[in-house]
Amino acid sequence: MDTGSNEPKRRYRQYLEVVTGPLEDKKRWRQYKARVKQLPENYRTAVEALERYLMHFGPGDGADAASMFEDLADLFEQSAADGTPIREIFGEDPVEFVEAFVQNYAVGRYIRRERERFTSAIDRAAGEDTRKEDRSV
Amino acid sequence: MGKQATEMLKGTLEGIVLAILSGRAAYGYEITAWLREQGFSDIAEGTIYALLVRIEQRGLVDVEKVPSEKGPPRKVYSLNAQGREHLEEFWRTWSFLAERLEKLREGGK
Repeated sequence: MDTGSNEPKRRYRQYLEVVTGPLEDKKRWRQYKARVKQLPENYRTAVEALERYLMHFGPGDGADAASMFEDLADLFEQSAADGTPIREIFGEDPVEFVEAFVQNYAVGRYIRRERERFTSAIDRAAGEDTRKEDRSV
Repeated sequence: MGKQATEMLKGTLEGIVLAILSGRAAYGYEITAWLREQGFSDIAEGTIYALLVRIEQRGLVDVEKVPSEKGPPRKVYSLNAQGREHLEEFWRTWSFLAERLEKLREGGK
């Protein structure tokens, strides 16, 4: 039921968001960037490198990607406050950390879905089509 | 810590963290610090953080935000009923593995 006076505004925003993506996500992204700017330089350099790497996973669901970057900001703000050395945050293999981290979000799950799709394609090719989860293919 | 130990640890890290949290609530940095004290020196803070995010998403822990003197509020994690169940299952799996490996070693003598 659309009786409220904010209806035109709401609809306008709906159209706008079709073009721009949800404004709320954009706001969260800006807030994340502002938080990163406040970090000590070496922490900021590390976060920006992470950010660049994460972008290669492709766009996740907007809200989920926003949560991912907020969680990153939490980690680095806390680490900077504790004085945790960069090397201790990342360990010897930074990729390992990133892979574990990204699995928690839709961006990472996208990769996982592709892996599953690949695995079941091989199952089929091998004549071992045991799973019935191929509706989406 | 040797490379082999690091590799073996990967599969058990979740159980280890759940076990730590079964004793008392803790925040991320405390968990990493404790692990280092115990000789698990190669564990990255980020890896523990990623694990904490995961077990929170899976509902194995309760999280409370506690203000801190320096930096943002800390997330304090404590094991809940579902987490305890998960931990018990981890110990059962661990016992099974340890027993099998011991048998293998004895058989190899």
